[in-house]
Amino acid sequence: MVKSKRKPVEEIKNSITDYSRILTVGCGGCASVCLAGGQREVNELNAELNVAFRADKQSKKLGSYTVERQCNMQFLIELDGKVKDYDCIVSMACGAGVQLMAERFPTVPVFPAVNTVSIGVDREIGMYEEKCRACGECVLAYTGGICPVTRCAKGVFNGPCGGTNRGKCEISQDIPCAWLDIYERLKSQNRLNDIMKLQEPMQWKNQVQRTTVQEPYEKRYYR
Amino acid sequence: MAKINTAGVDTERVKERLDEHKTKMKLSLKACAHCTLCAESCFLYMARDKDPKYTPSYKFLNSIGLLYKKKGMVDKVTLGEIRDNVWERCALCTRCYCPLGINIPEMIALARSICREQGVYPRFDRE
Repeated sequence: MVKSKRKPVEEIKNSITDYSRILTVGCGGCASVCLAGGQREVNELNAELNVAFRADKQSKKLGSYTVERQCNMQFLIELDGKVKDYDCIVSMACGAGVQLMAERFPTVPVFPAVNTVSIGVDREIGMYEEKCRACGECVLAYTGGICPVTRCAKGVFNGPCGGTNRGKCEISQDIPCAWLDIYERLKSQNRLNDIMKLQEPMQWKNQVQRTTVQEPYEKRYYR
Repeated sequence: MAKINTAGVDTERVKERLDEHKTKMKLSLKACAHCTLCAESCFLYMARDKDPKYTPSYKFLNSIGLLYKKKGMVDKVTLGEIRDNVWERCALCTRCYCPLGINIPEMIALARSICREQGVYPRFDRE
C-alpha cells in the first residue's frame, strides 16, 4: 500500500494560517492503515492545530471528516454539502487523494497534511518499508523477487556495480548490497542464469503522467 | 421487550445521519430482491468458499439495513457487528454488481461513516 507520514504541525499551520474555517479530511484507505491520515489522526491533528492557533491568539473553526478513500470520486461526493461551510481543506490522504480532492473542489484551496513516502509493506505496527517505486517496468521475475530499483542506490538493472563491498553498498556500510541479496536469492533457487540475462535500460526520460487501463477495458477507453 | 443499552452511542446523531440519506437508503432497501446475483461479483465471497456472509447484499442489509430497521437505536455491540460486516468482510473495492442498480458500495460507505462517527472502526495500531 501507499505509505505516508504526517507533516509537522507547524508546516500545516503555516499553509492554512490565512483561513478561518478549516475542514480536515481523513482517508480511510492506505493513509489510515499506515496511521498517518485516518479518523484518529484527523482528530489528533485538529487538537494540535487548535492548541497552536490558540497560542497565536487566532480563532479558527476546525471541522473534521473522514471519507472511505480520497482516490475515488465516488467517496468525495459526500463532502459536497460540507465543504461550502469552510474556506479551505486539509487533506490527510496521499498525493493522489489530495489532487482528486482539489479537482472535486476547484474553488477551494486544498492543502496536504502528509508526505507521500512510498509503496511499501507493513513490518510492525507503525513501521513500514519501501518495496516498490512504481517504475512501470517490473524486473522482479529475474531478480529473485528483490527490486533493484528500490533497493539499489543506483537502481541498476544489471548488477552488482563496482561499489559493492563485502556485502554492503558503497554509500553506507549500513546498507546491504541489493545485488548481493539478489545473487544469494537466485543461487538458493538454482536460478543464477537469470542474473546473466541483460536487462534493457529503463527509459526514464520523457516520462509523462501515466494512466492505467486494464486490457478488457481497452475497447471502452481507446478507439 | 428488553431495553437496548445504547450507552456510548449518540443515537440521535445516528438517526440524523440516516435521515440525511433516507430516500436513497429506503429505495435501495426496498429494491433488494435478495436475488444474490451480486454474490459472485464479490472477490471475497468467491475466495471464502462462497460464505453467504460475504454476499454484498448480506453486508448491505446487515449494516445500513439494520441501522434503518432499528431507527438508529443501536448499542455498541451491534455497531461492532456492523463493523465486521462493512470492514472485515468488505474491501470496498466497488466492484459489486446489482442488476437492480442498487449502489451497494455507497450504502456500505454510509454504514462505515456512521460507525466511524461513533468511534467504531478498525484500529491499525493494535495487534
